[in-house]
Formats: sequence, structure tokens, C-alpha cells
Amino acid sequence: MTDRKIYLDNAATTIPRESVIKTVSDAMRESYNPSALYLDALKISNKISAAREVVKSALGARDGELIFTSGGTESNNMALTCSRMKKGSRVIIGEGEHDSVFKTASVLRDVEVVFAPIKPDGGVDEEKFKALLCDNVSFVSIMHVSNETGAVNDIEKLAKLTKRASKNAIFHSDGVQAFLKEDVDLAKLGVDLYSVSAHKVHGPKGIGALYIKRGTPIRPLLTGGGQEKGLRSGTESYPLIAGFCEAVKSFDPTEREQVANFKAEFLEKLLESVDGVRVISPIGGVSNILTLAFEGVRGEVLLHSLEDYGILVGTGSACASHHESRFKRLFALEDGYVDGVIRMSFSIDNDMSEIDYIVSAISACVNKLRLDKRK
Amino acid sequence: MEKVIIIRYGEIFLKGKNRSYFESLLISNIKSALDDLLGGNYSFSRSQGRYAVSNFELKREDEVIATLRKVFGIHSVSSAFMVRTDFENDFENIRSALKVLAVKAEEDNLKKDARFRVTVKRADKRIPMPSYEIAAKLAGVILDNTSFKVDLTDFDFDFEVDIRENGVSYVYLGSFLGVGGLPVGCSSKGLLLLSGGIDSPVAAYMMAKRGMKLFAVHFASPPYTSERAKQKVIELRDILSPYTTKMRLFVVPFTEIQLEIHKHCPEEFMITIMRRFMMRIASRLAEKFDLKAIITGESLGQVASQTVESMTSTESCAKFPVFRPLIAFDKDETMDVAKRIGTYEKSIEPFEDCCTVFLPKNPVIHPRLEKVVELEKELDIDSLVERAIGGIEEY
Repeated sequence: MTDRKIYLDNAATTIPRESVIKTVSDAMRESYNPSALYLDALKISNKISAAREVVKSALGARDGELIFTSGGTESNNMALTCSRMKKGSRVIIGEGEHDSVFKTASVLRDVEVVFAPIKPDGGVDEEKFKALLCDNVSFVSIMHVSNETGAVNDIEKLAKLTKRASKNAIFHSDGVQAFLKEDVDLAKLGVDLYSVSAHKVHGPKGIGALYIKRGTPIRPLLTGGGQEKGLRSGTESYPLIAGFCEAVKSFDPTEREQVANFKAEFLEKLLESVDGVRVISPIGGVSNILTLAFEGVRGEVLLHSLEDYGILVGTGSACASHHESRFKRLFALEDGYVDGVIRMSFSIDNDMSEIDYIVSAISACVNKLRLDKRK
Repeated sequence: MEKVIIIRYGEIFLKGKNRSYFESLLISNIKSALDDLLGGNYSFSRSQGRYAVSNFELKREDEVIATLRKVFGIHSVSSAFMVRTDFENDFENIRSALKVLAVKAEEDNLKKDARFRVTVKRADKRIPMPSYEIAAKLAGVILDNTSFKVDLTDFDFDFEVDIRENGVSYVYLGSFLGVGGLPVGCSSKGLLLLSGGIDSPVAAYMMAKRGMKLFAVHFASPPYTSERAKQKVIELRDILSPYTTKMRLFVVPFTEIQLEIHKHCPEEFMITIMRRFMMRIASRLAEKFDLKAIITGESLGQVASQTVESMTSTESCAKFPVFRPLIAFDKDETMDVAKRIGTYEKSIEPFEDCCTVFLPKNPVIHPRLEKVVELEKELDIDSLVERAIGGIEEY
């Protein structure tokens, strides 16, 4: 055991920035209900509006609404269950979507839900997607970046194809892993709905947003006091909104390159010193996610072994770590690799100087586990 | 008019001269359960084969009853009003208590024209009336205040009045069955092999029911098993505590033993040899804490390691009798008990336990003891056991 902690599970959640913690904490002292009529409340309401503009601008959301929600799961649930879908129409869901989309799709009634296959790198297979399109499609949900592999889908292209086949179809994209990791310009992407979450970008947990393009037929998931223009009732959490805004404001675009460099160097050194590794993440994937499969090792056992070195990694969606992942099958791995998947996801908190330590720890653990297994 | 919980004990009633021993254990278990719940804010009294709990916060009555219903040795409990008998004033206090109970019963009752009786037990022989006459006299207050009708044989409600010798009476309506059994501690002490699955918690419940005080041992194989798997076992122990009283839980590091078996013995004998190590370690623990038996959740034929031959192989390493209370239980029956006692939901949480590490594809179903002993010669048994015991942590 060691006191050292190297956190490599940033796709599950990130560590909030100090400035975010301070902002949330300070904002908790401004506790008036933003809907109240007195001036002090109006001031908070104005700050929420300003925060909304900050997030919208980071998304390139020039046209439409951005409503604050409790996070990615709520945004995805609202997109799927509250959008208008004609009876008997077709709904296309990516096979690799996060459970908050994938499982929610299974409760949809009176529509035909079909799944768009993914390639072994986790990205949607565009040709197969195209084949599912027809003029009866009313709704599509394809994630921008795969949380499992970091594969980036060409949302602009998929949205265009969708609209061409069925001009009234609503196109939703789960952008939770893409926000601030990829260039997101919603106006250009051409999506109708887009989900984001604060805690994946060093913001607080419990806050996210759903972008709704002007004119998109969607009703609220939560009704009540009529906040967020009636689209999301419930007293706004000003502290979390302020924290979200601070996380977005303090993001520095050069961070992306820093993380990308870390990942590249780490991968190079890892492949030099450990054999029997398959890289599942695609080359053009998002800069912070690296999903690997190790031969002859169980992912969760490797995960626990690395804990002893103070290194924390994931085995896939942390929210789903208690059941057999459907991705094992989708990655099309050879037999010896199927159980050996781990997901490492980096952030600006990781320092280049840690790479050698991480690589040698993985090498030691993998070698030991393989040796133990041998007769 | 004070609210009390009356406790009746079960099988101890049959005991002869040593009844006071059983009673004192039962009382001590009841008190310790109530101490955990109420932190000493209650009174406990005993008289003539019954106990009463009083002076507790009234809003916690349901919790008190639920707690008592999990203490082995208790036959049933009733929520009663304790009043002064007040015979001179025509049982004034008993009548008020009956009125409260009856009005409440009518409010809660959906059936029209419900029927009732009043049953009186008169231990106080100074009252010069037979029980049935008192009952008839008391029934009036119920007839006056509800739409209920009297029916001595076919009734929906039996209002019971217990007139004690000391001038006090208990008035109550119905009772809740307890779990029965014998007070934990009266049947010696044993060591439970607690895996985290469905069966072993039920085995603990069954043995505690017959009065055995249990310790528990769990085998952990990090990094092949996780901290969460261990956490689950601790939580199972806590769910069982109201029944078993708190079990001391020992967690044994088992990885090295499993790796050694894996390395040196044929795959199909992995489980048999592993379980023999468990028995050796359990026996050592039992010796240390003066425990008299080992308890497992095995059920005949459930899996390969639970055939007669497998159990013979493992048992030969045990220095104490091995009790298997579920031996003739179907899985369904075990699951029913697990659901009833509240361990099921926890048990089915999917964290790997040490038995799933290096699970052989084709485990041997009828291992021959001589063969197993021969295979084990490849292992340095004593020092493996010694190191495992040295690494034990208690929770």
C-alpha cells in the first residue's frame, strides 16, 4: 500500500477545481429563491442568466434554450422520454450509448426502437446507421464521444443524414464526454438536443444542462413552479450553476493538448514495456480516454491490484460496474482479451512525471497476475 | 394508563430445573437488543413467566415490537395498556383501556358488524368473581362504544384482560408472533463460514434459532475479490445481528493459499482442497476462542463441492463437528428464509467471493479422500495456514 494517489478515472468523474469549490461555497451564502420578487432574488436570477450564457457560448449554442438539469442522466432522460415521437415511427439509438440513454430507450412505447451498431472501437458504424434511416424516423440519439472508448462520432454528418431522410426527425446527442474535450459548435453540428454534465469537466456533481434548439417539440420532464421557462421546474440550484459556470470559465483550451500529450507518451511507454495489450480506443479518439485490453488478466482484478499502487482506473462505465458490460461483446476481442478491459481516463491533474511510475506498476501487476495464473 | 409491551417466551416454558438459566440468557439478550435500539431509555420487569417493557418513547413502539420479534426465545409480544385493576370502582381503568382499544379497532376495521369477545385471566383471587363474569361485565363498554357484536366462539377480535396479583392489569388486543427458538447462548458457541452468498446467512439464522452463539469467518482473496465484497459480508453480519446477537467477524487473507493450490494441484481439485484449508483455518480459530462446532451453509447436491464425498473430504480437516443446517433445504426454501430475515437483497449483490477465483471448468464431484490427501503433499500446508492466520483481521 502507498499513500500516493494517481487518479486515472476522469471519464467517471473529475476532481473539481479549487476555484469551483470556492465558487459553490460562496454561492451557498446567496440563498434567496431566484423566483422571489425582491431585488436580492432578482440579482441571483440575473447571475443564473449570465451563467447560462457562459455555458451556451462554450457550446456554440447561439439559437435556442439551454436549461439546467440535475446532470447528464436527467438531460438524456428528458430528451428520450419527452420529445415528440409519432406513434409507429422509428427511433434510432446507438448501440454503445450510456445506460441513461440505452435503458431509457427500452421504456419508450408505441415506437419501433432500433439500435445503430458500433464498430469494435466504440464509434457508430456510419454505413449501418445510414441503412436504418427512412422517412419514418422521428428520433435519433447518438452520443458525441463514447464514454467506453473515447471514439468520436461525426455528429454533424449523422445529423445531416438523418434530416435528409426524415426532415422532422429530432436528433439528440449525449455530449457528456465531449463537452470541453472536443470542439463543440452546436450551430454547426445541427443537433436539436444536446446533453452535458458539469462533473465531467471539473465542476460540481448534481448539475448539467440540456440544449434545446428553437422549435424542437419537447415537453418538460418535471413540472411544477415553471422554472427554466417551464421546461424544468424546481428551484434553481444557484450554487451548482455558479460552480458549473466557473468550471467552464476556467477551462483553458491548451489543457486538451497537455492531456493528449500525456496519453500519447503513456501509451508509447506502456506498449514498450508490456506485451499482450490491445488498444481499443481509436487513434482519432478524444484526448483523455484510453481503453485497453490485457491478455490473460481480468480487468477488475488488475484494477484492484493497481489500487495497491495508489492508481485508480476504471473498467468501463463506473455507474454500471456491477453488471457484465455489454461492451465486452461489442469490442470483438479475441478470447484471451475479453475479460481484460480497463479504461484509463486522464485530466490536467495528471503529471508527465507520473508516467514511468504508472507504467511500471501496470507492468508489475500484469506480470504477477499472469504468472499466478500459470500452472 | 401506561403503554407496555408484554413478552411471552416459548420453548423455555418446557424447561425444568434449569429454566432460570435459560430465562436469564433470554432477558440479557432482550435487554441488549433494546439497549441497542433505545439506548437504555426503557424499563424492564418480569413476573410470572412474562416480561414487560415500559417507559419507552411511545412513537418508537413499532420499532420495539419489531426488535423483540427477532429475539430468539420469544414466543409472542403484545402491545398492552397497563392499568390499576381498581376493582372497587367497577374496573374503571380497565374499561377506559378497553374503550380506547375498541374504538381504534373499529376505525381500522373494514368489516361491518365485526364480532368480539373479552377474555379475562384472573390471577388476583381477591376479586370475588369468576373470570367469565368479569368478562361479561367488561364487554358492556365495547358494546356501548362500537357497532361490534359479542360472539364467544366465532370472533374477529379477542380483547384480553390479564388481572395480575399485584393489583395491576394488562389490557390488549391480539399479539405478534416472535421467531420462537431458544435464547442465543444457551447452546454453546460455533464458528460460521460466512461467504456473502445466500446460504450461509440463513445457516447462521438457523443455528442461532436453536440457541447457538456464533462467531463468523470470511475468506477474502484480494485483488481477486474486492473491498466491496468484504463490505458486503460485514453488512450481512449487521443484518443478522438482531437475530444472532452481534457476531465477531474474522476475515482471513486467502489469496496465497488459492494461488498455491492453483499452481501445484490439478484444476478439478481446486475447490475441494480450498475448502479443506478453510476447515483447517476455521478449526484453529475455533480452538482459539473455545468454539465447539463449525457451521456451513452447504446443501446436499447443490454444487459439486456439496456432495457426500466432497463433504467427507472437507470435513476430515475439521477438528470439530460440522453442522450444516441447510443440508436438506431446496434453494427455494433457503431463499424464502433469506427474504424473510432480510439478508436476500444484500446476498444477491453481485460481488465476487473467493470461491469464484480460478473456478475450474469441471470440478471433481466425488473426490476420493486418499487421492486428495496425496495431492496436498505438494503444498506446505502448515506454513500456509500459519501465514493466513497471522493475517486475520477482525471486524
